[in-house]
Amino acid sequence: MSSTAQTQEYVTLVSGDGFEFVVPRSTACVSGTIRRMLDPSSNFSEAITGRCVLETLSGVVLEKVCEYFCYNQKNKEQANVPDMDIPPELCLELLMAADYLDT
Amino acid sequence: MTEDSLVDKSPTSPHYHSGPASHNGSKICTRRNRIRGPQSALTDFLASNNISAHQIHQDYQRRVREAEQREAAEQETAEQEYSQHEHDDDYQEAHAGESPEQKKKRKRKEATTLAKIKQSKEFARRKSQRLMDVAGDDSDEEHDDMLAKEMIDEKSRPIPGQLENCEKCGKRFTVTPYSKTGPNGGLLCVKCSKDVADDAKKTTPRKRGPRSGRRQVQSNLLDGIIQYGAMSLAEMCTKKVAENIDDVEEFGDLPSPLLHRLSQILSKRRVLTPRTLNLFLRPELHSIDIYDCAKLETDDFQKIFAYMPSLTQVNLRYAGQLKDRVLEYMTDRNSQIKDLQFDAVNLVTDACWRRVFQKYGSQLESVKLSNLDYSFDDETVEDMCKHCTGLRRLKLTQCWKTGDRSLKAIAGLKSLEHLSLNFVEETSKEELGDIILNVGSNLQTLSLDGFHHADDHVLGLIHSKCHSLVKFRLSDNAVCTDQAYAQLFTGWQNPPLEYVDLSSTRDVDNSNPDGPEELIGLASQGFVALMDHSGSKIQKLNIASCRHVSREAFEEIFSEGKKYPHLTELDVSFHMVMDDFLIGRIFRCCPAIKKLVAFACFNVRDVRVPAGVALIGSLRAQDPIVVEGRFQK
Repeated sequence: MSSTAQTQEYVTLVSGDGFEFVVPRSTACVSGTIRRMLDPSSNFSEAITGRCVLETLSGVVLEKVCEYFCYNQKNKEQANVPDMDIPPELCLELLMAADYLDT
Repeated sequence: MTEDSLVDKSPTSPHYHSGPASHNGSKICTRRNRIRGPQSALTDFLASNNISAHQIHQDYQRRVREAEQREAAEQETAEQEYSQHEHDDDYQEAHAGESPEQKKKRKRKEATTLAKIKQSKEFARRKSQRLMDVAGDDSDEEHDDMLAKEMIDEKSRPIPGQLENCEKCGKRFTVTPYSKTGPNGGLLCVKCSKDVADDAKKTTPRKRGPRSGRRQVQSNLLDGIIQYGAMSLAEMCTKKVAENIDDVEEFGDLPSPLLHRLSQILSKRRVLTPRTLNLFLRPELHSIDIYDCAKLETDDFQKIFAYMPSLTQVNLRYAGQLKDRVLEYMTDRNSQIKDLQFDAVNLVTDACWRRVFQKYGSQLESVKLSNLDYSFDDETVEDMCKHCTGLRRLKLTQCWKTGDRSLKAIAGLKSLEHLSLNFVEETSKEELGDIILNVGSNLQTLSLDGFHHADDHVLGLIHSKCHSLVKFRLSDNAVCTDQAYAQLFTGWQNPPLEYVDLSSTRDVDNSNPDGPEELIGLASQGFVALMDHSGSKIQKLNIASCRHVSREAFEEIFSEGKKYPHLTELDVSFHMVMDDFLIGRIFRCCPAIKKLVAFACFNVRDVRVPAGVALIGSLRAQDPIVVEGRFQK
């Protein structure tokens, strides 16, 4: 089972209100929490199905989180990274999400 | 001096001296007696050379007049050209009588004017500006023509100095170069111009460049922050929240570590006000850390203790307005406090401090007080040591009224594990020795800053008594010898230290710059012994200004094959022997190093700095950091 999970290149992140985001595995693993969820040796159902349901996050927040994942990947190992644009009204919710996701 | 004043005051101006001269008869005599107004040295000089300032003024006026006439004439022709072109119907009518040849001629003339304008610099500038403003939908040709015509149009406007009616309010006013154009192309008076400018200012959002410029990088570098890759999302959001703190109504159930970080950022930005303080007051939390209370008033402090009854840890810095009644309220209401940290609480009296210590007694585990200059004297310290028998951590920095008696009292605190002292009063070495003798065996942290009389005997006591130190500081001392340091670290039963600060231990005698025969302070021998003892575990090392460490010692310590796997921060400021080679060796021997401070190391010129390492204080701070290799996490 876990061997198939390992080969999956993309994983699906699902928000509490049902929005689904399909992102590359490496991108999703920017988050420590998701990385541990998807760890093939853990045998969590998420690792087996490649599908993480993040009940506590709304679609809007998860979208921004995914944007951050990509931003993080894009700016890996670079100096002078420009700040990502975060709408002020979202930043508190996003902060909670970041804390939960360990990013 | 302006042209006018030159003319008025000038004694050589004809209309001025003609009067009195004719009246008095004798020209020379009048000249001598006449009281002259202030006049410029230039006027004097010109007069002596027979040059009349009045003449100059008149010439100038004439030139101005001529220029005005010329401009008016040009403007008229331009206006004609413009109206011909713009209103084709009028154009047809006006030139109905002319022959086709004449028509052709004028058209050609017009075309050349347009072409000329198109070639001018001003035109190019405007064009580029316009292109930025609007996405060019029109074809380039059309657009260019339009712009050129616009410029002709502008030329036909009233020139500065003329009178004109304001387009908006209809007032008559003098046109200046600063007059703005109204919505219909007319000019506006001063007041309306100002309104328009204000509006424009409001609508264009203030440009905020990304905070990643060279200055920011250098600023971060000084803080030892070398950033590779993106900031963590949490950090980014925390900063954003701090930026928009005025719009935040409550933090919700933000976890405590994030609250702590927010408090730090807000304090650094000096925006921790009574309003923002409210965001941090949550009854279920056990700790409060406010790093800058300068803007809080007595009632705000009281509110902290009122809202948070289950506090066990209190950390309030710059709490200048915290008074007795707040601490008394705290002792009445907050019964579980174990950990007290206050900075600059100078309105609290000694009597109140004693009541606090009596009330909490043995439940207090940690007391950290700093910058107390008005109260907190020896007697209070004695009282504290009598009541707080369970104290494990004590830190007293820059308390002005504590001295030898305090040291004696502290020696009785058997349960101490962490002790940090930085006294203002001079103290004796005997009392310090007593402390180490009595409480040294349990100590994990021993930080003695500015104890000028601590001597070799104290180091000897540390060697024999302290066996569980992790952090050791003995800085700013000119008594202990290198020999004693070497003995301290040789055959010491204490496990390897993780944090060592022996900065500024050296002899300071301007008349003898090389120091005495017997080396004072941490020098070659002591340093080698220290690294032999603690090299395997040491994380942070500060040996700034230990100026008798030789180059040979550095070469030996950082020689091929030596490894200090955990050393992340090293301060070697004011070591004249430091050079590019030694810095390179340090990088080689300390794979984990993150921050190397090297102020005033003048031989460090051109070092290759590994990626992810902050070299602080090098001579060419403005140069981009030389990065070597790839950054690895």
